[in-house]
Amino acid sequence: MTRRDLLRLIGTGFGAVGYSHLLAETSGVAPQFPARAKHVIHLFLNGGPSQVDTFDPKPMLTKYAGKPAPSGNLKTERKTGSLLKSPFEFKKYGQSGIEVSEIFSKLGECIDDCCVIRSMHTDRPNHEPSLLVLNTGSPLSGRPSMGSWLTYGLGTENKNLPGYFVLCPGLPIIGPQLWSSAFLPAKYQGTYIANYAKTEPDKLIPYVRNTKYSADDQRRQLGLLAKLDNGSSDPQLEARIQAMETAFRMQTEAPDILDISKEKPEVRASYGEGDFASGCLMAARLVERGVRMVQVYYGNGQPWDNHDDIMIHKRLARDADPAIAALLKDLKQRGLLDETLVIIGGEFGRTPSVEVSGLVKVQNGRDHNNHGFSVVLAGGGIKGGMTYGATDDFGFKAIENPLHPHDLQATILHLFGYDHTKLTYRYSGRDFRLTDVEGEVVKGILA
Amino acid sequence: MRRCLTFVLVLSTIPAFSATADKAEEFFEMKVRPILAKNCFACHTASKMGGLEMSSREALLKGGADGAAIVPGDPDHSLLIRAVRHEDARIKMPPQGQLSSDEIDQLSLWVKAGAVWPKSHVSQGTTAAKGDDYVITPEQRNYWAFRPVTKPAPPKADAWAKTPIDHFIAAKLQEKGLAPVKPANKRTLIRRATFDLTGLPPTPEEVDAFLKDKSARAFAKVVDRLLASPRYGERWGRHWLDVSRYSDDKLDSERDAPHPNAFRYRDWVIQAFNDDMPYDEFVKAQIAGDLLPNPEKTAAGLGLYALSPEFQDDRVDVTTRGFLGLTVACATCHNHKFDPIPQKDYYALLSVFDNTKMDEYPLAPKAEVEEYKARKKKVEDEEKKLKEYVDAQAAQLADIFATRTSDYLMAAAKLIPAESVDKETLERWNKYLAKTEKEHPFLKPWYALQKDKQHESEARKFADDFQARVVKVFAEHNRIERENMIRLGGSTERGNLSRADLLSLPRDDYFLWRDLFSDKGILVYDEKGINRFLTGEFKAYLVTLRKNVDQYNKEIPPQYPFLQVISDVAKPKKQHVYLRGDKNNPGDEVDAHFLSILSSGKPKPYTHGSGRLELAEDIADPKNPLTPRVIVNRVWQWHFGFGIARTASNFGELGERPVNPELLDYLAARLLEDKWSIKALQREIMLSATYQLGSDDSQKAETVDPEDRLMWRFNRQRLDAEEVRDAVLFASGKLDLQGGGKPEHLDDSNFKRTVYGFVSRRRLDPMLELFDFPNANSTSEARIVTNVPLQGLFFLNSPLLMSQSEALAARVESSDEKQAIEKAYRLLFDRAPTQKELKLGLEFLHATPEKPWPKYLQVLLSSNEFNYVS
Repeated sequence: MTRRDLLRLIGTGFGAVGYSHLLAETSGVAPQFPARAKHVIHLFLNGGPSQVDTFDPKPMLTKYAGKPAPSGNLKTERKTGSLLKSPFEFKKYGQSGIEVSEIFSKLGECIDDCCVIRSMHTDRPNHEPSLLVLNTGSPLSGRPSMGSWLTYGLGTENKNLPGYFVLCPGLPIIGPQLWSSAFLPAKYQGTYIANYAKTEPDKLIPYVRNTKYSADDQRRQLGLLAKLDNGSSDPQLEARIQAMETAFRMQTEAPDILDISKEKPEVRASYGEGDFASGCLMAARLVERGVRMVQVYYGNGQPWDNHDDIMIHKRLARDADPAIAALLKDLKQRGLLDETLVIIGGEFGRTPSVEVSGLVKVQNGRDHNNHGFSVVLAGGGIKGGMTYGATDDFGFKAIENPLHPHDLQATILHLFGYDHTKLTYRYSGRDFRLTDVEGEVVKGILA
Repeated sequence: MRRCLTFVLVLSTIPAFSATADKAEEFFEMKVRPILAKNCFACHTASKMGGLEMSSREALLKGGADGAAIVPGDPDHSLLIRAVRHEDARIKMPPQGQLSSDEIDQLSLWVKAGAVWPKSHVSQGTTAAKGDDYVITPEQRNYWAFRPVTKPAPPKADAWAKTPIDHFIAAKLQEKGLAPVKPANKRTLIRRATFDLTGLPPTPEEVDAFLKDKSARAFAKVVDRLLASPRYGERWGRHWLDVSRYSDDKLDSERDAPHPNAFRYRDWVIQAFNDDMPYDEFVKAQIAGDLLPNPEKTAAGLGLYALSPEFQDDRVDVTTRGFLGLTVACATCHNHKFDPIPQKDYYALLSVFDNTKMDEYPLAPKAEVEEYKARKKKVEDEEKKLKEYVDAQAAQLADIFATRTSDYLMAAAKLIPAESVDKETLERWNKYLAKTEKEHPFLKPWYALQKDKQHESEARKFADDFQARVVKVFAEHNRIERENMIRLGGSTERGNLSRADLLSLPRDDYFLWRDLFSDKGILVYDEKGINRFLTGEFKAYLVTLRKNVDQYNKEIPPQYPFLQVISDVAKPKKQHVYLRGDKNNPGDEVDAHFLSILSSGKPKPYTHGSGRLELAEDIADPKNPLTPRVIVNRVWQWHFGFGIARTASNFGELGERPVNPELLDYLAARLLEDKWSIKALQREIMLSATYQLGSDDSQKAETVDPEDRLMWRFNRQRLDAEEVRDAVLFASGKLDLQGGGKPEHLDDSNFKRTVYGFVSRRRLDPMLELFDFPNANSTSEARIVTNVPLQGLFFLNSPLLMSQSEALAARVESSDEKQAIEKAYRLLFDRAPTQKELKLGLEFLHATPEKPWPKYLQVLLSSNEFNYVS
């Protein structure tokens, strides 16, 4: 909490004396009503997973397979042709009987804890703006990410750790812009970790260990530094001192949390192998220690971007499905699912029609589809065992209760106790917010 | 995985629209105008179909042949709304098809709320893309950025103001009743100026000399010395490299792909700054350096385009944002929604670049180049021969193996003797068949049959059928490949591939073909493998070809150096407007020409080649008001941390207005008077009292102007990535000032300045990334400054800090601890320690059992004082 932040808070009416004592550890803006969720884990299947092959079964697509869509193809990025049926079987799961594709059968077993939103849509069929709008509420770069807004609002529960982590083995495209704090104070930006499963815990975070100097040495160094740097009233200098101190505490705590070998073997085994599985388990451990938001990107680049062959989804889901299901069960086991919102989805979906490109490649893939796609939510005050919204007969376009990312974001902020129109930050003469001027809370999916 | 980079329309900053202020106007701009622009303006602006002109609220109230188009507050009785809802019996709009219900709702909401149409946007930038219909109004021409540059007289000001710049600053402060803080002390000032101009701290000797110099010109001398230092270009050239999104490699998603000669552009930019190349020439060199009188001095500038990011065409974007502060690429699909930029202007500029090609500009004698090329060609020809020969033999062999598929299956099932087939090929089949997870649909029955050894004849029958399929797939694939090549007109370029109607094998057939016949297919032998199947003359020929390739390869000299440039194509093509930005939807032809808003009257078509030289001259024309305004604003930003207009690459409607437009114009006019000399401009800025202000607090000023937009103090700046690394190495005495040439990775054995390190689009150096180095995939107008714990870890634990603290310890260590601390303070902070600091230092040293000095000095290197410039 800096002096300038405090002034700003007083200016906006939140700096009442009763709240100010909290500001030392937390920050930002007090929630406006009781929160349902304290943490969020966003499992980002980057590249654009296909809704009609995962969570949005379309019998009509099977029926019309190989024929042109009766209503024509919507405009997407590339040329697409006739309808391509899903190569995967759908099956009913749980008490709720929600249909899920065979490639997500384990997640299917948890479906009674999940709300499947089948009517998401975004503005453009391109990765960059869609990744940005899902993360920051704007298709253009330069706005704070949701994790930054949440940590700005609520702070972190663990002062030894950053409040917002981003895990990806490699980088999703356009990378750091997706977890930028933009004009919010810099301490709210996501802390990125390249979570390759094979990397030793000490090496996950660059420079996290000092093999030469003891903790005593470093404590002495920090002590001297604090005394030398003392006496400045400049908020950026104060923030830097804070960041140094957090860094010091991180050295002991962070590698330990990220060291999943400390987990019970059966728990580890339940998540399965691979980078994404280890990322999911790290996310559970981070949330358990009070981290506000963890994003786990499935992989480097855009693995789910299967233009050529949708069968690749099966291979990807082989890692993703057990890990996601294990995470949901594990959170439940740890008593954290109630207060942890889990989001599962990508930046858009894929066309029900086949993409026609490639010279002698197999033509079994789908183009980007921003008109309709699915996102699955669980925990954190979300009603389980339900579907919400619908796409048309072929899964091309969201037609029933369409949900823009702004609506999703408004709902998420609501779960954290915020009226999304009131979590604002004044910058450059204007009040900014995550949802821009839009967004409706979707009351129907709240528990 | 494929990457899509086609979307790169990056309006750097759309001001957010708050839920509170001017919401109605924002709603119009963000929701309503786009709907009208897309669906209505084509017929209802200039051409006024049905008498209706939809250019303002007034025009809508006036309406057309059928009366008023709107009744503000009452959508149900507004003809416009009734027409789009298809409620009116006769008028149903737009004719091309009904709007979405969402769009109709937006329009209704807008009318209901009173149909606010912001005054400043009257008929702005929204007429049809067709032909010459586009009209720029006098009001648009009068927008601040497009007005001619004038030289305003400095206003009267308070006594503190020394130079004209100060007068402009003082006037704005006075308006708000503010006064500047005290001037900075000399020590602060020389540290500030030295980091500012060279990216390095001053030496203690330089500080002493300045402190001793009591003359009135003391600081001017420092500034002149720094401007003349070769270190200056290394700092200021790098500023420009942010704009020109310089990198040493390509963004390849699979592998590292360095550009071996990219550094020549970097070095040219650095040299251009050191030489104070007039900015107009600097601009022209980067657009048309090959076409200027001394191309050997300017062609290197073409790296701006020759090193463009791959997959995405940002050439118009980087040109217009970089030089002109305009987001012309926003007019790719439609007329610019906010600025007077018709869509055809985008294509007029694109035409210039589309009529160029990537090229090389050799830096060696012609004979050497030709010798190299001839030898290279000899190798390539021979390699081609070799490959063709091997491919032909391999294809023939695969064809033969295909006709024996049945036998191999039988042999694999041990139903016939293994000796009856080729051993290696059988092993490959075995390996293939062992991978049951392939779940090959054609082979499923085969696995079932194998369990039952009794049915040999059934097995043979299946194997024969399978063989027939294999033979057929092989033939079918070849047919499709031929057909696709015809459909593509013989070109396999990426762009064509993604849009052509191509044939392909059914999925399962495709995989069968891939597994058997592709480069890695089990029936295909490579050069080494095929050897075994050849005899006599066939084998001897292969050996000869191989020997020749090896021999010719040895004879190639190292490649001559060259510049990566662009050059005009031999025969310029006509450019079309792409309707809605869709290449498959060409509209009218456009000539290459300059932007309409920056032309007097109708822009004249370019007539020489691609038009690059003409474009360069138009951009660098002193009468063009944007070029000087944009660069002086950047220079101001690079000195002070932010510009007079904060959106340095967007001076359009959506950019921020300059906080002090008179000052901006004064500086632009001075730049022109000084014949585009950047150094002269910088001298004038740095000798102002404004530049020399302290960075103290002021309660009053902070309340009125918390972001210091009006410049009541000098803003403290954190060292950026290059400065942190360079300053640490400078302090330890290890910095190697040899520079230029091939980039090297910033590892622990590299002590050169950071600007010469390898800059990657694919995988940026982690230290650079940690300290907010810009992403080289698009032009960057300003660096973001972040402050995160991971940076703290860098100071606590990085090999750089640890090793340089030790080096620094060796540099300052002395038997007298006090003296050593004093030396360290002089080296790092240009001052003596206070009594308290001395005491703290000594306490630390005595309390630390091992390596006290490196540990102590690491703290000093990590301190705020070291890492900020005040």
